[in-house]
Amino acid sequence: MAEFTTAVFQNEFLPDGGTDVNAIVTISCKGAGTAGQSGSGDAGEIIIVDTSGSMGPATMAAAKDAAQAALAEIVDGTWFAIIAGADRAMLAYPPVTSGPALVQMTPEARQQASASIARFVGSGGTAISTWLDLAGQVFASVPQVTQRHALLLTDGENRERPGRLDEAINRATGYYQCDCRGAGTDWQVAEIRRIAQALLGTVDIIPRPEEMRAQFQEIMRASMARGVADAKLRVWTPQGAQVLFVRQVAPTLEDLTDRGIPVNPLTRDYPTGAWADESRDYHVAVRVAAKALGQEQLAARVQLALGDNVVTQGLVKATWSNNSELTTRIDKQVAHYTGQTELAAAIQEGLAAKAAGDEATATTKLGRAVQLAAETGNEEATAKLRKVVDVDNEAEGTVRLKRAVEKADEMALDTASTKTTRVRKG
Amino acid sequence: MTESTTAPETACPSCGAGVPGGARFCESCGAQVAAAAQPLTPPTMVPADDLGDAPISAPTRRPVDALPDPLPDPGRRPCANCGGEVGPDLYCLSCGTKAPSARDHFREDPASWVAGVCDKGVKKSRNEDAMALLAGEQPGSRAVLVVLDGVSNSIDSDVASLAGARAAREVLRTPLPAGMGTPQSREAAVAKVLQDAVAAAQNAILAVTDPDSPNPASATCTIAVLEGTRISHAQIGDSRAYWFPDDGPAVKLTVDDSIAQQQISEGVAKEVAETGEFAHAITKWLGRDSHDFVPTVGFLDIEGPGWLLACSDGLWNYASDPAALAAQIAAAGPANPGDLALRLVAFANAAGGHDNITAALARVGPLPEPAPATVETAAAPPPPPPTSATTGPATPTEPTGAVPPPPPSVQNAGTPNQPTSAAGEGGPTDG
Ligand SMILES: [Zn+2]
Ligand SMILES: [Zn+2]
Repeated sequence: MAEFTTAVFQNEFLPDGGTDVNAIVTISCKGAGTAGQSGSGDAGEIIIVDTSGSMGPATMAAAKDAAQAALAEIVDGTWFAIIAGADRAMLAYPPVTSGPALVQMTPEARQQASASIARFVGSGGTAISTWLDLAGQVFASVPQVTQRHALLLTDGENRERPGRLDEAINRATGYYQCDCRGAGTDWQVAEIRRIAQALLGTVDIIPRPEEMRAQFQEIMRASMARGVADAKLRVWTPQGAQVLFVRQVAPTLEDLTDRGIPVNPLTRDYPTGAWADESRDYHVAVRVAAKALGQEQLAARVQLALGDNVVTQGLVKATWSNNSELTTRIDKQVAHYTGQTELAAAIQEGLAAKAAGDEATATTKLGRAVQLAAETGNEEATAKLRKVVDVDNEAEGTVRLKRAVEKADEMALDTASTKTTRVRKG
Repeated sequence: MTESTTAPETACPSCGAGVPGGARFCESCGAQVAAAAQPLTPPTMVPADDLGDAPISAPTRRPVDALPDPLPDPGRRPCANCGGEVGPDLYCLSCGTKAPSARDHFREDPASWVAGVCDKGVKKSRNEDAMALLAGEQPGSRAVLVVLDGVSNSIDSDVASLAGARAAREVLRTPLPAGMGTPQSREAAVAKVLQDAVAAAQNAILAVTDPDSPNPASATCTIAVLEGTRISHAQIGDSRAYWFPDDGPAVKLTVDDSIAQQQISEGVAKEVAETGEFAHAITKWLGRDSHDFVPTVGFLDIEGPGWLLACSDGLWNYASDPAALAAQIAAAGPANPGDLALRLVAFANAAGGHDNITAALARVGPLPEPAPATVETAAAPPPPPPTSATTGPATPTEPTGAVPPPPPSVQNAGTPNQPTSAAGEGGPTDG
């Protein structure tokens, strides 16, 4: 049985008249077990492989090999299917046209699925909305599957009427989770990131075909380790208070603010998907009405709920004080993640400006990113930034845009922008 | 930060929150933590005093007449700020206001005619006042009011004052002695019992005081016992007992053991003495460094209905003149003792609440008529419920119309809108 614990990091002291309360809430899970085996419903996996005409022979061969390797990671008994995606989606396995479109994994099924993957041929365009919609239909065909996860690989830009993909994303949101990978450099980071963020998954670039196998194995292994299906972050705030934002800040940055579903007038549920043995940090900011000096007030109850069952709770408090030594302190964790959030924005805005030809803005933003990455100890971001800019002064954030930049390096910086580092202890 | 995972500490038996080793109270809910509150070995110092020879009339101290403790305070009340439900984490489920712990605000109502409220007040960080009450079921039969005020800044004086109040109450559980028939022998016998009660409080305080404490707990002690038409009282320090007859001037029963009182008796004007630098310094107290804990004892035979009040200075500081306090009681109109005690505490809180506040009351005679009534009737009908209209930061009156939030109803994602077609529109090919 999974066990959850919560730790709250904050400075609860507000000055006279102060209203804004910030806290980092760390929620940890132990004993999650294996997907589909916690008794709360079965697990389902769908592997979606881009089979459009743009997939070159090397990429296609690597994708087939990687998808077959991922099959090996799917635990026997787990429901699964394979979808081939081009300008329309095709159920490649199981070979059915009606009824349940998922089958339970067995050694035979693994072999048959593997053989169907081997027959993939690249042709046609890229209409990702159809891939997402078919995955939703396939999951829905087996009602006892309650933990739904897909792995999506693409290599090209989506070619559909504007809005079509967003409609499909909306239909899938809250129904299944999806990790997304882009092969090569002809796909759009912003587009695929939209899918991954809405569907509570990760996004990354696979620049070289030979790296694909390991990535697929890792994704599928991580998914199988999520023994806790569908947890929700439940945030209560007092009457009259305002939630300024709710963000996941570790291991990756996800703004959850607009995803809250009201439970009652004071409480909202934010989806967090399935959990493995892991810990996640949330930054919660609440505006409350100021109270008299010396008064204490609860600003938020931050809970994790499985169904209607609250499994852990952290209390975010506010205490008004005229002791400026107490009230001016900024919590180390809050400061760290505020910096990481700004870092992600600086990288994304800097790269967007560069792509638009606005070199001045790009230089300023990426300079700020270099400075923040150093300040917050984000070594991955620092290394990736140094492939895109030449750094004159890290502390002051003065940089020059590199003249010749590998497109893959720029995309890797973009996809990594939402990965955060934790506060160094000590 | 607060962390629910670290556990070198013990868990609170009441709410389960972590309690650091050595703590006596749970920081989350205020419950006393049993393991940590183990009393130190009580010292052997029951005073043998010069009243030891006073005859005690055994028949009046029969165990069968012992009064039971008041029912335990139910604790969890509606939120004092908005009337909402208070959650198990002790914060209001509607407005988030922190509910006081069971030590910071508690009430006792041993009988319909006797009740008290002990409250932290506004400015202090903890409640070092304590009270312990007893009462016979029959109105006007027998009531015991014990109030202790822990001296602030002495270590664990909140623990000590409560232990002291309860120990004194234990001694007063059975009726006071009647002596050998003469008023003098009766008063000597009663004084002996009251001294024993104060000595029991002193011993209980010593028992919870660390012998090495650099700043040992100390407390005042005021006891008022009503039996029929007689009030017996004992005093250490500057808590007070009053008699407020319905008709007639208020009577301050006790004399403060304080610098201010000394100055007043030496002729200094009351207003000057009570605002002087050492106005609040007391000259007698209970605790390890007490030199004299023999109480000043007094008696009053009363006629007619009225209120007996025992209170801490957190109340009378805002109405030092007995008439001013009488006016507060009169302003409350007809009230049962529990409501009146809440009103007096609310009055002190509204006036600033600089100190902990305790008000313990016993009602003698029927409750007063509502204002328009002028004719005395033999059998007064029960008064209407009081109209509570108090205000102030810590108004502890029970609000009505509490609206708990509706039970959570989770909206599940369920099945998504079924895609109408899995086929795309066959856009241009890439590549
Ligand atoms: Zn507790
Ligand atoms: Zn409330």
